[in-house]
Amino acid sequence: MLVAQLQRSLWITLLAASAAIFLANGAAAESVMRIAVGTSLSTLDPARTSTGEEYIYDNLLFNGLTRMRADLSIEPELAEKWEYTEDLKSWTFHLRHGVKFHSGREMTADDVIATFQRILDPATASPPRSNYDMIDKMTAVDPYTVRFDLKYSYGGFADILSDRQVKIVPRDQVGELPTHPVGTGPFMFKSYTPGDRLVLVRNPNYWEKGQPKLDGVEERIIPEMSARIAALQAGDIDVIWDLPPEQVKTLSQNAALRVESVPTPSWDAAIMNNAIPPFNDVRVRRAFHMAVDKRDVVESVLFGQGAPTLSPIPPTHPFFSKDIPFGKADPAAARKLLAEAGHPNGIKVALVVPGGRPVRERLGVALQQLARPGGFDIEIKTVPFSQYSAEVSGKVPFYIDGYFARPTIDTALYAFYHSDGSWNVRLWHFSDKRVDEVLDKARLAGDPAAQKPLYLAFQKYIAEDDPSFIAYAVNFICAYRKSVRGVETHPMRWFDLRMAEIAP
Amino acid sequence: MIAYTLQRCLYVVVVVWIMSALIFGITQLLPGNVAYAILGQYATNQQIAELEQLLGLNDPWYIQYWRWFSGMLHGDFGRSVVMQRPVGPLIFEAFGRSAILAGITITLVAVIGTWLGVHSATHRGKLSDRVLTLAQYFFIAVPEFFWAILAIILFAVWLGWLPATGYTPIGQSGVGRWLAHLILPVTTLVCGLIAHVSRLTRSSMLETLRSAYILTARAKGLPRRLILRRHALPNALLPTITVLAVDVGILIGGVVVVETVFAYPGLGRLLIYAIEHRDIPLLQAGMMLVTTVYAIANLGADLLYAVVNPRIRYGRSAG
Repeated sequence: MLVAQLQRSLWITLLAASAAIFLANGAAAESVMRIAVGTSLSTLDPARTSTGEEYIYDNLLFNGLTRMRADLSIEPELAEKWEYTEDLKSWTFHLRHGVKFHSGREMTADDVIATFQRILDPATASPPRSNYDMIDKMTAVDPYTVRFDLKYSYGGFADILSDRQVKIVPRDQVGELPTHPVGTGPFMFKSYTPGDRLVLVRNPNYWEKGQPKLDGVEERIIPEMSARIAALQAGDIDVIWDLPPEQVKTLSQNAALRVESVPTPSWDAAIMNNAIPPFNDVRVRRAFHMAVDKRDVVESVLFGQGAPTLSPIPPTHPFFSKDIPFGKADPAAARKLLAEAGHPNGIKVALVVPGGRPVRERLGVALQQLARPGGFDIEIKTVPFSQYSAEVSGKVPFYIDGYFARPTIDTALYAFYHSDGSWNVRLWHFSDKRVDEVLDKARLAGDPAAQKPLYLAFQKYIAEDDPSFIAYAVNFICAYRKSVRGVETHPMRWFDLRMAEIAP
Repeated sequence: MIAYTLQRCLYVVVVVWIMSALIFGITQLLPGNVAYAILGQYATNQQIAELEQLLGLNDPWYIQYWRWFSGMLHGDFGRSVVMQRPVGPLIFEAFGRSAILAGITITLVAVIGTWLGVHSATHRGKLSDRVLTLAQYFFIAVPEFFWAILAIILFAVWLGWLPATGYTPIGQSGVGRWLAHLILPVTTLVCGLIAHVSRLTRSSMLETLRSAYILTARAKGLPRRLILRRHALPNALLPTITVLAVDVGILIGGVVVVETVFAYPGLGRLLIYAIEHRDIPLLQAGMMLVTTVYAIANLGADLLYAVVNPRIRYGRSAG
């Protein structure tokens, strides 16, 4: 009898709960854009951000001195205008008046200087620190004017100030950045639950009038790709960031969704260590290039969502050299060259691929299969990506890695290919006098017309003696619900949501 | 009973203390250095050496252990090296969410699982038993992430009845939506665990029903329901109680697959994050919490044995 009573109360409770669930309407009256990403943000301090998910947040909460448009050109942001001396060594930026931080205080030149001092301080461990090592001195000429004196001429200085990590932070609230970040951007921080979501709300006092239009933005962390896609189709989220290339075809067929795939300068490569065998011999590197057709790689790894490239200069860039062809695979010639280099029976080598990065893992496997007829017996080793810097980068003979787009061609090339470059020693240990010379000259040339022939020469030298195998420039793909308006897919992989809206 | 309880509590304390030493030892052996993880890949060797000195990483291991352990007793769980914020709130918030999921699941599993097991045992060979057995085999054999994703596609995308993810903050969406989000993850966990529990209860029940004292009770003419509830069930439940205690431990820290598929921010995912990023303080605190919960769950199981089987109370074996 007691059991019967218990069963009855159980049914009543279940019915009541169901009613509560199905009657409760979670639809909010406000327009909040929900963006689905795959991994948690590890840090909320813009100077220390290093992943795509964190860069999205940088661009929503903060502003930099300059801003990069979707066509990769620069426009003023916190700096209204700027001048530079003839020798490109002294740059003066005029800041906007009346820009307020989310805490209410006005942004001044002291905040800008404090931000850059922090980035240049090794104790902050900011990833792009070496990109700004040309800064010698910073002076606040007056509360709205900052002068940067550089150690050497640098034509692209205004360009690199649009980068992801050099956003202006309030000098007196640096300690709270990891838990309660404050910036000048269109959205303000509300809460962050690691593993769940980052919640941002509209900044009502944003300095660009009439913006933003959204009431809020949420970065939702959904690790499983199929769950992300289900959530987009069900309408639980509005945008999927960084859609894998194999999903493009299926999602494009869904009438409620829009898939956008844009070419970007971001590249993936099979990095060959030029300092240790077997790839210290340029003939072995050339043999690998002969063995693999880059167009096959793009088709099998990216399903066509990308383009083969020689170097970090992408095919869409005006400086890209159209005269250097991508050859068809010639395994016989590859094996002959290997024999000349002292490997008559081909080479056995281990290729390290980053665990947790599916596209690059696929690249590793594709290269393994494509290079086999050319005499390369490749064994795949998977190392979790978080261990890369400790165990892999710059240390093992052969590994797969990739790099996000950089704000300028110089920053995309110099640190990697110049023998003094800060990324060079973490990668392939490459050194070529002609390349050094042409990169140094290009840096000093202020005018794109003068830079172009130098970068064309650079690509010619690289085609002859390539430090590694740069596989492709990969497209950046996002999927949106059709109700999302006013957003462009940005090749730098962040979102500019100032004019974004969600149609009802 | 009192002596038995005190003895069990003492065992829990000893086990937790030994585990703390093991956890500390294991995390110290992990390749990859805490100072390196804090400073990131752009640090110089000199900076790393300085930070190691500052963090006391060069002190003898027993001093480091004592520092960590006494800190924990004071409620100071250290600072997450990756996220630069105190570990305590991170761990306890994730634990709270996992606890809710675990609590609802284990209740449903205990009630429905034992009921199904008893039903199968008493209706052995009939259609309902066969159908249940088939279902049990399905849920044991097929991995959760497979049919969980199918469930999401069916209920969230095609039918639109339930949300596609497993969690939404109560404060943001209200209790109704929060419960709606929980339905699919709870169902996934429950189906997986009920399969084990009901099968175990079934076989344990069948064995108990064969014993001599049940025959005596039947011979005495006692009603069937009374025999089941007062004589057979308490003895049949002993293995079930053990399994349920183990399941509590699994539900708190081990259901990473369900947490990943449903994007549920629980303790399991936080621990995986800590491992991937070599966030040692976060990892150690998380492992200690899971261990403690497990130990307490087993304590509960031990005490429940004693309640159910008086022979255990008085120090003798159960059989």
